[in-house]
Amino acid sequence: MKHVQRIPAPDKSKNIALINTRQLCFLTAFILPVSKLLETPSLFAKNALGDLLLPAFLQFLLQFIGLFALLFITEKTGKSIFQLIEEKLGGIALKVFCSLLAVYYLFFALLPLLDAEKFIHAVFYDTAPSRFTFTPFFFLSAFACVKSLRHFSRMADLCLPLFLISFVGIIFMSAGESDFEALLPWFEFPASKIVSAVKNTTAHFSDALLLLPFLGSSDYQKGDGKKISAAFWLGAFFVFVFLAVFYGIYTTLAPRQHYAFSKVAQYFSALKTVGRVDLLLVYLLTAILLLSTLLPILLSVFCLRTVFGEKFSMVLSIVINGGLFAFVLYCNKYYNFLYGLFTDRLWWIFPAFSVGIPLFCLLLLIGNRKGGKPRQKGKKLKQGVGYAR
Amino acid sequence: MNTKITKNLQNNVTLLKELLPAEDVLTYFFHTKDGTACAIVYADGIVNKQLLGELVARPLNRLSLSVTKEEVCEIAKNDDSRYEFNKNDGGRYDLKVLEHKIKTALLFPELKEESAFNTLVKEVLDGNSVLMVDGLTTAWVIGAKALPTRTVTEPPTDVAIKGPREGFIEDVKTNMSLVRKRLKTPNLRFELQKVGKQSDTNVAICYLDGVCNAENKKKILSKLKKIDIDCIVDSSYLATLLAPRTHSIFKQVGTTEKPDIFCAKLAEGRVGLLVDGSPIALTLPFILTEDLQTSEDYFISPFMATIFRTMRFFALVVALLLPAFYVTAQLFKLQLLPLGLTLTIAGSVQGLPLSPSMEIFVVVLLLEILKEASTRMPKYVGMSLSVVGALVLGETAVNAGILSTPAIIVVAISGICLYTVPNFVETGSILRWVFLLVAGSEGGFGIVILSTFLLYYLVSADGFGAPLLSPFSPLCMDDLKDSTLKYGFSGLENRPIFLSSNNKTRFRRK
Repeated sequence: MKHVQRIPAPDKSKNIALINTRQLCFLTAFILPVSKLLETPSLFAKNALGDLLLPAFLQFLLQFIGLFALLFITEKTGKSIFQLIEEKLGGIALKVFCSLLAVYYLFFALLPLLDAEKFIHAVFYDTAPSRFTFTPFFFLSAFACVKSLRHFSRMADLCLPLFLISFVGIIFMSAGESDFEALLPWFEFPASKIVSAVKNTTAHFSDALLLLPFLGSSDYQKGDGKKISAAFWLGAFFVFVFLAVFYGIYTTLAPRQHYAFSKVAQYFSALKTVGRVDLLLVYLLTAILLLSTLLPILLSVFCLRTVFGEKFSMVLSIVINGGLFAFVLYCNKYYNFLYGLFTDRLWWIFPAFSVGIPLFCLLLLIGNRKGGKPRQKGKKLKQGVGYAR
Repeated sequence: MNTKITKNLQNNVTLLKELLPAEDVLTYFFHTKDGTACAIVYADGIVNKQLLGELVARPLNRLSLSVTKEEVCEIAKNDDSRYEFNKNDGGRYDLKVLEHKIKTALLFPELKEESAFNTLVKEVLDGNSVLMVDGLTTAWVIGAKALPTRTVTEPPTDVAIKGPREGFIEDVKTNMSLVRKRLKTPNLRFELQKVGKQSDTNVAICYLDGVCNAENKKKILSKLKKIDIDCIVDSSYLATLLAPRTHSIFKQVGTTEKPDIFCAKLAEGRVGLLVDGSPIALTLPFILTEDLQTSEDYFISPFMATIFRTMRFFALVVALLLPAFYVTAQLFKLQLLPLGLTLTIAGSVQGLPLSPSMEIFVVVLLLEILKEASTRMPKYVGMSLSVVGALVLGETAVNAGILSTPAIIVVAISGICLYTVPNFVETGSILRWVFLLVAGSEGGFGIVILSTFLLYYLVSADGFGAPLLSPFSPLCMDDLKDSTLKYGFSGLENRPIFLSSNNKTRFRRK
């Protein structure tokens, strides 16, 4: 591999609108994993029981391929994929690409939204709440959608203490009650079951592409790819630990334990005397869950803003969130049907986008280099031709 | 009005009185030794008349304004060294000689020549006196102000057990001197500006040149210049007008009544504003963490300071969320409370006519009313009011079965906790109501979503280049050393990064 000139460090005082790589790492390590602690543990357990760590690892590996491709492109070209597409294929292609991404992000947001709504109803209320209980989420989402990616990244900074306090607290309360021997022996299940576990959880795991717009707006420097990759695997480590503890507590009952992170700590002995203080930690983690749920919606609006222009940001935010509100309101009674549809029939769409698009862009880059066009030496990332604000 | 004064004293005085028709603007006529008429125009009550008499009227009364050949030659040679006295040159140096003689006779440190009426009017209203002499086209502005001020005392809102006890007062000049006393450096700059069309309030913009970020200073000055308001009664007016988000419930401008805190903030690289008529100084940029800090944190052990700051932070969280969680636990999620406590509460609330959220709402409302009444009432009545409010009302309401004891305890804890951060009381009170409202209607989810919303709102709020939630978001490890944590001086070598100071180092170990 040829040596590429180091991307010069941007003057941060002049680029205050840029997203810091640290924030990208926090986003990868502390926000994205939370959405995988809700329904996926029971889904993994349903298909692979004690081998649930294996499909989880395969899922992370698959996503890492997509993430690696994104990081590789950014590292080698010093440009965001948006810039690359605009340069290679033109402005129209960029708009088509952004529209496609927006649709994917919306599609990716649907199942986690339904999950989040069910989770809120189940964990926050002793009795069945009103159908409109989840409505405030869309106000938060609409507000976040009109703000820039930089502001979401700043939330990632706040998520570091929130995640560590809540996650460590929950694991501390539950690890003592967990029987880790239940995870043994490994590789007990046939490969078909593992594949089935992977297939059924792609709707929750395919989040590598969520980093794409952030990479286009960050102060990425050569070498930052390693940090982001490390953060990705740190997030994966949190999920592995959680899965192990979760299965160690519930073993064969695990497939029926929905909303896993609200349930793992409930058998902590001290809770009998002090009350369900673990719920406070669950509430903290819920705040991060809400952020991870609104992230694809925010990115969808972000992509559409690129297509239609900044002046429509408010309208787009209201339309998208209004549409999703209606979807949640009227489709939650078809939850089981939709779940089956997303996990059994449309599962392939998620990896096709989250891994396929980065690989396609990689091919685009390689194809261009074979064509003999001089490779542009690494330079400071521009703010994505108006994408990053 | 750009009219200039003429040689006719009577006309000048008449015009000035026309421009200043108020009855407290007086004119004092007297004569020099040779009979030239003089007049001093001043606003009664804000001028030191004894000083005017001793240092203006008496010397002039003994002064003869006749011009001698030697005096003319002396003055004229300053302009033209080859000048020779000529009787027929039309007395072109006479005026200069007279002006020089008067200036020499008046031994006032604050003496300024002026000829435009609009400036003279402003000076009289500002408390200065204007001396006019018949036959001269120049007036003298004499700084003999004697504005009624109180003495420098300890501010009631910022009481310190350790550390300096001086507080700002309402006079901007005194406040400037209190700052100058602590920062004896030529880098300390004061830029005076007038704000308010009617009040013409003096605002002193203070900063340390070379330390403060020039861009920030420029932005603040430009925003100050754009303010178009009739009257600035207090610095809080400016705080509102300078705030980047005018409708925010969060404080966006730092306030302090203590010169030591003010100077420490200037030394960090902030810009300060002293407003005439207000004992509260403003500092910009502002971050929310400042409210958790007190001046004493810097005078005690850093470990204790860290403990106190952390305690204040948790007290704030308790103050905002405890009533909301109490309502949530009763209405939506009983599991939040241990069984024993649940049974105790169930026993207390049995037979109450109010729902849990309504009950807490009423108790918080009572607390706010009591607080408001005790602040406004005379001191001694206030004390009895506290007894009536706390003991009689609380006890009787519980005995009468209108309110429950746990509700009163919860609100009392919340009230006490909120006062650990006095600068956050206004915002905290509003937020407590809002949390109570969402807890009553949405339960724990409402609390979570409102908290997330508030955090999102705060991370997107920048004021003069500094994010409101700095140094937590964007995370800045170096600035964390003086946030909820408090390092010793060895850890505070650099100025806060979020202030983008030109001079990064504030402390060097030798």
